[in-house]
Amino acid sequence: MSLYFKYFKVHLKSELEYKTSFILSFIAQLFTLFSYYFTIICLFNQFSNIKGFTMYDVLLTFGIIQFGFAFCETFFRGIDKFDTLIIEGNFDRLLLRPRNILFQLFCDKLSLIKASKVIETIIVLIIAILNIEVNWNGYRIMTLIFMLFSAIIIFLAILIASASYCFLTIKGLEVRNVLTDGCKDMAQYPIGIFKKGFINFFTFIVPMGLVNYYPFLFLLGKSNNKLLCFCPLLTILYLIPAIWLFYRGLKRYSSIGS
Amino acid sequence: MRSYLSYFKLKFITGLQYRAAALAGMSTQLFFGFMYISIYIAFYESGSSNLPMKLDELINYIWITQSFFMLIYAWYKDEEIINMIKNGNIAYELLKPQDLYLMWLHKILGERLSQTILRVLPVILIALILPKPYTLSLKTTLPALTISLIALLLAILLMGVLVTLYHVICMFTLDEKGIIAIIMVAADILSGLVVPIPFFPKYLQNINNFLPFRYISDFPIRLYIGNIPLSEGIISIIVQIVWIIILFALGKILANIAIKKATIQGG
Repeated sequence: MSLYFKYFKVHLKSELEYKTSFILSFIAQLFTLFSYYFTIICLFNQFSNIKGFTMYDVLLTFGIIQFGFAFCETFFRGIDKFDTLIIEGNFDRLLLRPRNILFQLFCDKLSLIKASKVIETIIVLIIAILNIEVNWNGYRIMTLIFMLFSAIIIFLAILIASASYCFLTIKGLEVRNVLTDGCKDMAQYPIGIFKKGFINFFTFIVPMGLVNYYPFLFLLGKSNNKLLCFCPLLTILYLIPAIWLFYRGLKRYSSIGS
Repeated sequence: MRSYLSYFKLKFITGLQYRAAALAGMSTQLFFGFMYISIYIAFYESGSSNLPMKLDELINYIWITQSFFMLIYAWYKDEEIINMIKNGNIAYELLKPQDLYLMWLHKILGERLSQTILRVLPVILIALILPKPYTLSLKTTLPALTISLIALLLAILLMGVLVTLYHVICMFTLDEKGIIAIIMVAADILSGLVVPIPFFPKYLQNINNFLPFRYISDFPIRLYIGNIPLSEGIISIIVQIVWIIILFALGKILANIAIKKATIQGG
């Protein structure tokens, strides 16, 4: 852990070297997330609800999903940009070091510019929490924390799985973006609003439903089943096949370095 | 003039080589189209009156924007040109006897058209055979078709001059991440690709009429699907032409200033 913070400090210093560029990029990042926020505001201007969910409900699920993604983008950037590591041959350098390879990947790059997105999502979450109609109690607060936690876990799992896919294809194809961006965009809404096929997809294949729908029903009081409160934790199981895939890919890896 | 066209052709033909990328891109477009439609269907099923667009109009709008996506999205940057500015290879470009601005404009148009051509037909064909309510319908009248085709051609030119302008600004800022990224996101929202413009708040729609962005994608497509009356279309075509001239002149003047004080980066 302390090693991670050492890496963190180095990256922080290197990014702050270019001050104006850092500030401008930081602001530009705020704008990219803003377009999603803008969509939700515009649509709820015309529609009062979406399948019974209000604007603040959707802002909460939106905030949770985007928070998880932005968190991974900021602190585990190395695994997000894994294809460049392989293409440039720098991955071999990491393999030589006597530390866990996944851990090194997490530390390899950090993007503090993306931290602006984390801050922005936290603001959205606060707005949503202040306005949402929920009778808060211990269980519900716990559910919310679990949801935030599982959002990070699920994107981490997706990133690791798609990184292992890079071992095969060398270049991260656009298909990967469909999985990450597409799932992210859809999961901004409580997935229960979609048709049956999508709900099954997001429950069993990419379990976004465990993050933002089933526990959310409990949070809103639409369901009284206390077990739903713990279902975000199931996403941890999703890490296992992702990590397994990664190590399998690693075994087959032959350097393409230059 | 011939030499500029050959830049266009060069980029166009190179772009056609990347068929695997086009296939991946096509599936992305299909997926996103499907996704947006699912979200809107959920909204429309929740019931509301006085909506600015009918559901079938909206679905057509989404499929057509997705199929022409590579041509109309506004946050495009040409990595080759940006790298040229950053690493100093722009010096070679300046040595050529052609005009830098026109050269870039042709390159950008060529690249984007080639990326589009490979995707338009497959996406449209698949969207046509999808089951209801996801299906695309291309029903239209002859006058609407003609005018929207003219509008689309002008829109391509407008996109070209706007995108070239980003790259000219980049010669001043030497960085495509800061200001240019902000303009790009604004352009993306205001061109109606994030949410269709009829869903915008009224005041924003009014401001937007005076900006160039919606004339790239929103206007020709909504004209085609019948959401904008033809009479209004003819006025908007004039606005398109005016914007093309303004942005072209602006880009060219700025490019000339930039060349005069250009510092070559790197060595």
